[in-house]
Amino acid sequence: MKPMRSRFWALYGTLLKDHYGLSAAKYYYIKKKQRTWEPIVIVGSLIPVAVMAVAFIWNLTEKLFLAGLAFGQPHLALLNGALLVSLAGLFFGFFSVLSAFYFSTDLPVLVPLPLRSWEILGAKLGVVLTGQYALNLLILLPLWLRYGLLAGVGVGYVLSGAVVFIALPLLPLTLASILTLLFMRVVNVSRHRDKLSLVGGLLLLVLVVGFQFWLQSSLGVDDPELLMEQLLSRADGIIKMAGRVFPPSVWAAQAMAYAHTWQGWLNLLYLAAASAVALFILSFLGEKVFLQGVLAGLEGTRGSGKARAVRIEGQSRSPLLNLGLLEAKLFVRHPGFALNGLVGYVLFPVMVALPLFGQNLQNNPFELLALDQLPPLVVAGGLALYFMFMTAMSMIPATTFSREGRHLWIIRSLPLTIDQVIAAKVLGAQIVNTIGCLVGVVPVAFLLGWGPAAVVVGTTLGVLLATALAGFLVLFDLRKPMLDWINPIKAVKSNLNAIVGLFIGLGFGFALGLLLYVNMRSGTLWLIPLEFVGAALLLGLVVRSLVRRWAPGLWARI
Amino acid sequence: MLKLEGVTKRYKGANVNAVDQLDLTVRPGEIFGFLGPNGAGKTTTIKMIVGLLRADRGRIIVNGHDMAADPMAVKRSIGYVPDNPNLYPRLTGLEYLNLIGDVYGVDGPTRKRRLDYFLGMFELTGALGDLIQSYSRGMQQKLALTGALLHQPPLFILDEPMVGLDPRSAHLFKKVMREHVNQGNTVFFSTHVLEVAEQLCDRVGIINKGQLIACGTMDELRQASGQVGSNLEKLFLELTDSGEAYEE
Repeated sequence: MKPMRSRFWALYGTLLKDHYGLSAAKYYYIKKKQRTWEPIVIVGSLIPVAVMAVAFIWNLTEKLFLAGLAFGQPHLALLNGALLVSLAGLFFGFFSVLSAFYFSTDLPVLVPLPLRSWEILGAKLGVVLTGQYALNLLILLPLWLRYGLLAGVGVGYVLSGAVVFIALPLLPLTLASILTLLFMRVVNVSRHRDKLSLVGGLLLLVLVVGFQFWLQSSLGVDDPELLMEQLLSRADGIIKMAGRVFPPSVWAAQAMAYAHTWQGWLNLLYLAAASAVALFILSFLGEKVFLQGVLAGLEGTRGSGKARAVRIEGQSRSPLLNLGLLEAKLFVRHPGFALNGLVGYVLFPVMVALPLFGQNLQNNPFELLALDQLPPLVVAGGLALYFMFMTAMSMIPATTFSREGRHLWIIRSLPLTIDQVIAAKVLGAQIVNTIGCLVGVVPVAFLLGWGPAAVVVGTTLGVLLATALAGFLVLFDLRKPMLDWINPIKAVKSNLNAIVGLFIGLGFGFALGLLLYVNMRSGTLWLIPLEFVGAALLLGLVVRSLVRRWAPGLWARI
Repeated sequence: MLKLEGVTKRYKGANVNAVDQLDLTVRPGEIFGFLGPNGAGKTTTIKMIVGLLRADRGRIIVNGHDMAADPMAVKRSIGYVPDNPNLYPRLTGLEYLNLIGDVYGVDGPTRKRRLDYFLGMFELTGALGDLIQSYSRGMQQKLALTGALLHQPPLFILDEPMVGLDPRSAHLFKKVMREHVNQGNTVFFSTHVLEVAEQLCDRVGIINKGQLIACGTMDELRQASGQVGSNLEKLFLELTDSGEAYEE
């Protein structure tokens, strides 16, 4: 039995374990020795990414240091680092905090407990902050280390760095929290949480795309590394502007750069004082308005009691079609699923079309991609690959059984064979995928002047390939569905089947893309439809065989 | 121990009150059964008492504390088991109970003694190190009940506690409720299982369409309805069907 902890720390520790799955990891990997391959896969895939990121930051810091030195501002690198983590914290913090404060499933457990508003608020903010600290460590540690080595800093730099590290994410996240509290208090929209999630997600999408567009059009650079260098090294441009927008990043940089002078300590004082004031405002506001927003969210809405006429259809449909339509409807109607799965259908065409309107294109913007000059069969092949890739990207087939969660019994208790269930699930996924892809493809085809024949052939080939791949992904999810979730988003976002499914989709896409390239090089474009149909048939036959051999056993084992 | 005065609640978008001018007094040392058909307002009432919903009008007094004026004191006086305990699935049972113990300020030796008692009774000791997501519904109910009683609350509130429990677990729940009352505390629970209410409760209240239509001991209800010798089921059906209101 552990010694008694204060209410705040007890709650913070518990939420931390729950949010980051620490207890679950200890239970499965150490106590039960189950799924031990998972941490190996996760760490194994994260290490190269982290190493690359650290190397990139290390090199960039050096370049920025030298660039800054040229115009007498060697601490430019420090400013960039502080600015990056602050703005990211402020931007993404709003969504993290909104989700943690108002949309978490543990509020009905916490509210009846004798906990003050600030204790719940503070513990939840602490959990978000902890994640931010971990991310900041990855970004700031190599940056500060490299800067320290180049500038030959002393003990003051290290001490100041420690304080800055603690204070830096505190201010943006506290500001994001204050904004969230005011937002929820004024709008009181948490009872419309589904709509809010969708609107928030779309807003995020618009901001991301808009920011990308703004960068490309204002800097006129397409190479990401060059773009980053320009973005960070233009002392009179974005940095100065952003420094004005978020002065604490300037305080943080100057506190470290001039750590040995009174100017440095004064900046450190500014940063610490601003963080303390923001925290005080948050705790004050939290005590006043947090619980009201939470209770409004918990209350939800009730029917008005008025009878609403619905048409009861007398016609019967085939179970396959019914179940397929149900699969599609349930996915689209859930904002969490829809946001994660459907955003790609909107994002990809937008990202493709965006460079066409950049300011760096003086003449005919369509010439950039030269897509209007592509042979129709190449367009058709590309479209087919897009349909296939998107079926994996949407995560619909690869999480289909997982999303059922505790409701899986409904489908299991119906008089349907697993073959029929899989067919219905593939149908549902393909209804969404086909409509989703066409929503993006049709305007792009119109913009780029693709012929209807290329679009029709591409769509047909794409549906065939995507259907075969969807069958494979559905079977893959049946192998080990993630059913033990409480928050349905986790069935999609935290599901390894979705990630592996994405790589499977990429693998097939790469292989067929290679085939397309070979045909282009050898001038045998007429082979593309035949090869793609053949590939779809082959994959379909393999899936059919696997379904017959394995699916009944897997279905019975769940 | 629990006093509701003119408590009223209407959900946003609804045309009728979910709870309408509810007056109710539950005395110390009694088990009070709160009955009513589906949608009558039982859960809404309970949620207002525990602080999960805010009453539009009226007062809720628990152990002498007003919910509107001093919600912390009210919450400290209550142990609550919801109808569907949605506990942290990725915590172990012990981690959850330690959180509850810390929040209510239950010291180590007392916590150990009470946990040993309840977990032993519910045969949960062996599962304490397992994740809650691996628990059955009944096990989660027992864990929630253990957590709710850890600080020996003066008022113990349960929303549909018997749903999903096997006969042995239901028997244990009833035993725990009786023991809690025997120590001078109060139990307030809602149920659809009329046999349980008839067998266990010192008094029952029947709510229908947000209004309390009957309240008292079984004998008082029989006498008031003029149906001496009839059981609770018959009384309940008659009262909720006709909607006639009468008090003890």
